[in-house]
Amino acid sequence: MKSKSVLVILILSTLISACTSGVKEPPRYIPVKEEIIMKDVISDPIEPINRAIFSFNNVFDKAVVRPVSILYRGILPEFFRNRIAYSLDNLSMPITTINNILQFEFGKAGISSARFVINSTIGILGFFDPASYFGLKADYEDFGQTLAVWGVPTGPYLVLPFLGPSSPRDFTGLMSTSLLDPTYQVGNAANRDLFRAYRMGVGVINFRSENIEIFDDLQNNSVDYYAAVRSFYNQSRNSQISDNLEVSPSINQDSLFNDFEEFELDDTYIGPDVSISYPE
Amino acid sequence: MQIKKIIILVLSFFFINTFVFANFEAEEKFVSNFADNAISILGNENLDINQKNLQFTDLVMSSIDMNLISKFVLSKYWNAASQEQRDVYVKAFEEYFISSYANKLDQYSGEKIVIVSSDAAKKFVIVKSNIVRDGADTLKIELDWRLLTRDGRTKIIDLSIEGISLIVAQREEFQSYLSNNNGNLDALINKLRSINNKN
Repeated sequence: MKSKSVLVILILSTLISACTSGVKEPPRYIPVKEEIIMKDVISDPIEPINRAIFSFNNVFDKAVVRPVSILYRGILPEFFRNRIAYSLDNLSMPITTINNILQFEFGKAGISSARFVINSTIGILGFFDPASYFGLKADYEDFGQTLAVWGVPTGPYLVLPFLGPSSPRDFTGLMSTSLLDPTYQVGNAANRDLFRAYRMGVGVINFRSENIEIFDDLQNNSVDYYAAVRSFYNQSRNSQISDNLEVSPSINQDSLFNDFEEFELDDTYIGPDVSISYPE
Repeated sequence: MQIKKIIILVLSFFFINTFVFANFEAEEKFVSNFADNAISILGNENLDINQKNLQFTDLVMSSIDMNLISKFVLSKYWNAASQEQRDVYVKAFEEYFISSYANKLDQYSGEKIVIVSSDAAKKFVIVKSNIVRDGADTLKIELDWRLLTRDGRTKIIDLSIEGISLIVAQREEFQSYLSNNNGNLDALINKLRSINNKN
């Protein structure tokens, strides 16, 4: 109960910061859009600490998560892994609906709740996905995105122990989810935690097992693995939030491409040996 | 759930309000030609991985603006570099770039590129497309192409996968590595070479 009140205070404080950050318009016309979406330079003031936690997470991943994920993928046939992935997705639909509503996206709230009802029943407890077949496409919203829609800036980059890349905004969103998510309240007090642990654990292993090669590749071929993951995380979050704010993520990145001007227009940057050539 | 967000191919499907205007027909044609050529190489069962690699690299190198990309990812460190460093770097980066896809070309399994729309973004044109795979396991990945046309020639500047720009990610990686190594470009060149030698 005590930890719950801490969470409530945290949520309230972000709400207040949302209100004080100058958001008075309805969410579609957010005046501080530039602050919410990607900046040229990622803010990472505690980089040394983040790097230390990142290294710890990698050790944990190598020792536990990756081997278990390989085992999981090796033992369980694809059919069953897909069923588990679908059921995890289905369990995330109610929290998506809540966030749809909090973002005033009532049409999307209708879609996500219809998905949950259809897949939980016809889809046999969410193990199958007939909703997509009916044209109800999955979309996932978390409270971090809702905070962004409300105008809360992302804040500095943060690497959380075990959980990985985050930001103050996303971390608040993550914790709020445990309060808001109805599927976290399934079961009585004793087995509720067990069910949560199962979801969390299987969720991590399911995700990791789908991305073994991608992570291996990224780790082996990166000049700076930490910076690569940081960039992917920030860009991915910004892309989702651009989507919430209905702006195109690519067009949004334009300011990042301003450097092209100087390289193109100032001929001194282009030595004779690296002249721009267009092979046929 | 949080950990789900860190991945290159985040398969969360967005609702993007795209309008089907062929604003930039030439650019859309360029992308679809490129995709057709790429698929005809990758999907050719008569080619071994080395032949695929050679042909694909020819196609890529004639379609992207490697000079601009090489400079952009170094950004301010390019300006500070000596002529000799620039020469060595350009070569090491190109090898690094090629090795990044070299051993993955045999993983192609029938995906197709569907052009969605095109739009101007300052001096660039962005062509939006989807990677789709039909069948029981439907797949849809958003792939945006950033193109620049100069002197009547269109070149690929960047690819953005589910909103993640590859060139921006590469630049952040290089900038981070250099700022943690006192801006020593030789250190980056050596790092690139050591990765190239591994592959």
